[in-house]
Amino acid sequence: MPSLVDSSSLAKVLVRASPDLGDSMGVHFGLSTRDPSGALVVGYGYGEWLVLASPDSAGDVVHRFEGRPYDGLRSVIDVTHGYAVLRLTGTDAAELLSRLCPIDLSDDVTPTGAVFRSVVGGLSVGVIRDDEAGEPSYLLVVDRSYGQSLSDMLGDAGGEFALAYVRPPLPGM
Amino acid sequence: MSSHRLSPQPGEVIDRGRSFTFRWNASPFAAYDGDTIVSALAASGERVFSRSLKYHRRRGLLTGDFNDPNCMVTADGEPNVRAAHRLVRPGMSVSSQDTWPSLRFDVKAANQLVGRFLGPGFYYKTFMRPQRLWPAYDGVLARFAHGGHAPTAADGDRYDQRYVHPDVLVAGGGPAGMAAAIAAADAGARVLLVEEEHHLGGHLRWGESSDLESLRAAVDAAGIEVLTDAVVTGRYDGNWVSVLQRSAPGATPHFRERLVKARAKHLILAPGLLDRPYVVGGNDLPGVMLSTAVRRLVNLYAVRPGDRAVVLTANASGDAAVADLTRAGVEVARVLDARQGEDIARIRGRSGVRAVECSDGSVVDCDLVVTAVGWTTPLTLATVSGARAEFRPEAARFVPVGLPDDVSATGGIVGDGSLDELLDHATAVGREAARRAARSAVALAAGNPHARVAAAPESFAVDIPDLRPAEHPMLFLGRTDGIVDFSEDVSAKDLKSAVHEGYDSLELAKRYTTATMGPSQGKLEAVNSIAAVAAASGAGFAATGTTTGRPPYVPVSLGALAGRSHQLLRRSPLQAWHEANGATPLYAGSWIRPDHYGDAAAEVRAVRENVGIIDVTPLGKFDLRGPDVPDLLELLYVNKWRKLAVGSVRYGVMCAEDGVVLDDGVTGRLGPEHYLMTTTSSGADAAHDWMERWLQTERRDWQVHVTPVTANYASINVAGPRSRDLLSRLTDVDLTPDAFGYMRVRTGTVGGIADCVVWRIGFTGELSFEVHVPAGHGVLVWEALLAAGADLGVRPFGIEAQRILRLEKGHLIVGQDTDGLTQAYGAALDWAVKLDKPDFVGKPELLWQQIRDDHLRLVGLQPVDGAVVPPEASQIVEDGTRIVGRITSSRMSPTLDRAVCLGLVAPHLSTAGTTVTVRLPGGGSLQARVLPQLAHVDPEGVRLRA
Repeated sequence: MPSLVDSSSLAKVLVRASPDLGDSMGVHFGLSTRDPSGALVVGYGYGEWLVLASPDSAGDVVHRFEGRPYDGLRSVIDVTHGYAVLRLTGTDAAELLSRLCPIDLSDDVTPTGAVFRSVVGGLSVGVIRDDEAGEPSYLLVVDRSYGQSLSDMLGDAGGEFALAYVRPPLPGM
Repeated sequence: MSSHRLSPQPGEVIDRGRSFTFRWNASPFAAYDGDTIVSALAASGERVFSRSLKYHRRRGLLTGDFNDPNCMVTADGEPNVRAAHRLVRPGMSVSSQDTWPSLRFDVKAANQLVGRFLGPGFYYKTFMRPQRLWPAYDGVLARFAHGGHAPTAADGDRYDQRYVHPDVLVAGGGPAGMAAAIAAADAGARVLLVEEEHHLGGHLRWGESSDLESLRAAVDAAGIEVLTDAVVTGRYDGNWVSVLQRSAPGATPHFRERLVKARAKHLILAPGLLDRPYVVGGNDLPGVMLSTAVRRLVNLYAVRPGDRAVVLTANASGDAAVADLTRAGVEVARVLDARQGEDIARIRGRSGVRAVECSDGSVVDCDLVVTAVGWTTPLTLATVSGARAEFRPEAARFVPVGLPDDVSATGGIVGDGSLDELLDHATAVGREAARRAARSAVALAAGNPHARVAAAPESFAVDIPDLRPAEHPMLFLGRTDGIVDFSEDVSAKDLKSAVHEGYDSLELAKRYTTATMGPSQGKLEAVNSIAAVAAASGAGFAATGTTTGRPPYVPVSLGALAGRSHQLLRRSPLQAWHEANGATPLYAGSWIRPDHYGDAAAEVRAVRENVGIIDVTPLGKFDLRGPDVPDLLELLYVNKWRKLAVGSVRYGVMCAEDGVVLDDGVTGRLGPEHYLMTTTSSGADAAHDWMERWLQTERRDWQVHVTPVTANYASINVAGPRSRDLLSRLTDVDLTPDAFGYMRVRTGTVGGIADCVVWRIGFTGELSFEVHVPAGHGVLVWEALLAAGADLGVRPFGIEAQRILRLEKGHLIVGQDTDGLTQAYGAALDWAVKLDKPDFVGKPELLWQQIRDDHLRLVGLQPVDGAVVPPEASQIVEDGTRIVGRITSSRMSPTLDRAVCLGLVAPHLSTAGTTVTVRLPGGGSLQARVLPQLAHVDPEGVRLRA
């Protein structure tokens, strides 16, 4: 039985720079990794990284990334309040998501650590596969204003799978 | 037991332990679970299920499957149900279509009396004059339109969708399809097997078959995903394959149809062959059936199709039908073997088959005629995949030639053979499909940073055994005229007549007669149409060619194409508060916003006299960083930006390269290389695209980052003469006039929330401050403002009040007071356009506009009779008829207690004091005077600079 958790309270920091910053960030476009602090660093776009960290740590994250030496133009922006994040977990998570998302969600093509942006039920959504305890799990990142719409769509598609919608948000990731 | 129900048959699909009743044309009939509508009716001896399109001749079961053209009914209000495929349900109410007063006594059968006037294309020759009677002709012809009646109530059913990515998709679940699927799965591929019928097995289902059981067991064991009652409707570029799943028994939630969108690495076509009708006189009488229809009825549904039969056979299917009939207790009065030159000359009957005139002159009484004269290859999916149809005269059918590398075919569509030969071919095709799919997976993974696809070991193509179509006599047109297209009531004589009228190509004859254009989409009639046109034109079969099949392969409901209906709304973090506090919603683009809270006029007065707050979260907001931001602003706005100091704000107008106003908004400088830009809410996405387009293509060397932060902030505008008093109670920012002048921006704490951005700007014409709060704290700050300002008379105001306030102040709204042709000077933005800048987007066109000076101008307008509010878009006219402008914005002003407007007028009418005439939609008109400025209230701007 898959579960849907509202994880919007996560700190979210957007780092923008030349793509060559990827080596320093530890990850390039299309992949994600945990940094030593436990934050999830996501290669979110071309020259764009989204850092997901524990709630209320955005200031620390901004400070940490601004403090790294870099010659070129770099923007580090606290976007914690700008995105809704929903975590979808369970053995049926990919099957549920396939009702809304045209991307191949098989383990071969989008294993844990994979990142992509796609249309999910008509919305532009960032999808991060981040398995938990061996169970398939997806972080779905969407413009905050569309958060309710995405949640409603997942709930509608989730009826087939007895989706459990967990409220309120839980600490951590 | 029903009169024509047989004793249990091996392989029957009905469950005799679950019987129920349903209604057919208001009469009760018995059925078993697993019956189709038609099989249940046929079991009770019913033979007539519809009337033909033009002549309303009685029609009975012909093919007994989804494609049966004579079995379309209305079931539980749903029109055009394929009764030979749709499973009957307890209590189902089924009725015939387009018959009156009944199927049995249909007055429209009188058309047969005037049949000579209803030949092909008759509507091009009749019902033309007198022209004034066209409405009457239309009404008459509409009564004869076929196809049931669309329900008028909204469709409450669920139409679902799903995306899949199989390695191999097999279209067709007969023995060849099953074998190919099994072989592909055994070779490691993820396989999706799609079968149009309710069960896998194809022709193996007709009679007990141990081969069928072992194939089904192997499919189960191989972990293949199987969709039955599903059909591949189309194949598109890159093997994007659409599958219509008509039902999924037990699915939760229930859906009526599901559109499965598949990206298959390899597609295998195994659709089998279609039994083709014989064109001979009387071939549309109830009681004329194809051999496969008879085999289906007897073996799957245990129904005796008649009492006394004549069989015309040219192949093994016809021979097997003879055996099935005999086993079912039907007297087979005569078997005419076409391979020996025997034939049917004519089928006699009126309400049904009565006798057959054989080619040897004998007449045989019967009530059932079974034909097995040849096979049609369903080629649509092959041809849309890029193959061409090649006619094999020795086999009397077409085969696909030239399939692309990612599409294969097996089974009857390729050729004939024993079951072992078919299975061997299919197995080889399946293994080869898996090999190619694995190769594709490796190629696709090459550009994918996170794919984990192991390189496929070097392998050679699988050797596919030869499979050719067996020889078959060419049997299309009999000795007498018969129906070619049963759906469209087109006979061979009609096609011959069309050719003689000059429509001598297949494409022309098709369109003129509508042959192949009915619900079966040519499956039953295309080849016979080719034969008829070929015979009439003398061109020969191969030279006549084929028509072009296009997706969808079968009709698809609009519901399936539309899928789930989700209203994608953007919500401000304050939306729940608005709803809880009586806001009337306004849908503005994708946003839902509060239009008003019960009294927009009172809200306007509150802002003018005290203080109001409005949720302006949808305003587009962009974080701009980098040393080249001023260059970007200089390029994209018509005004100047280089001297904008930190802490200052400027209003900007963005024009396209043709000088047309695109967007407007204010931009504030927060730091040396940090700016915050606002745009209109509806134009935010377009403005973002516009900026990125320039940065990524024309100015790639510029160091600028544009990051959308619209939803990052809850934006609250605090407006009114007491707005400073209110906000100062909640913020640590110094709001005094000297410290915080007009068009300035600061950051600070508001309502205890840090990192807020506070602007001193105005859209209402009053002193106002716009607060951008981190969105998660928006409700807290909103409620804090309301609580802190209770003694100041604070109240929320909505979009309607804001529109009135800004109109009173003369502020334009891009897209409301401008249109797709309004260039900057036309929008009274002369003051903003700085032509002395070296360059900016739109400069050449704006320079030319200024020189021409012949454009419509935006002006403030005041109706002479202030009590009348002209509707927006009312035309401004001159000399009674010439349009010289229009009203763009119009409201009753609570502040002035009179109508106030903005409008675009011709230049010669734009001088202050000019009176213009506004044409009202009802036909009257009013006079309005041009003001010296756009603003109706406080034109000097004293209030907002307080």
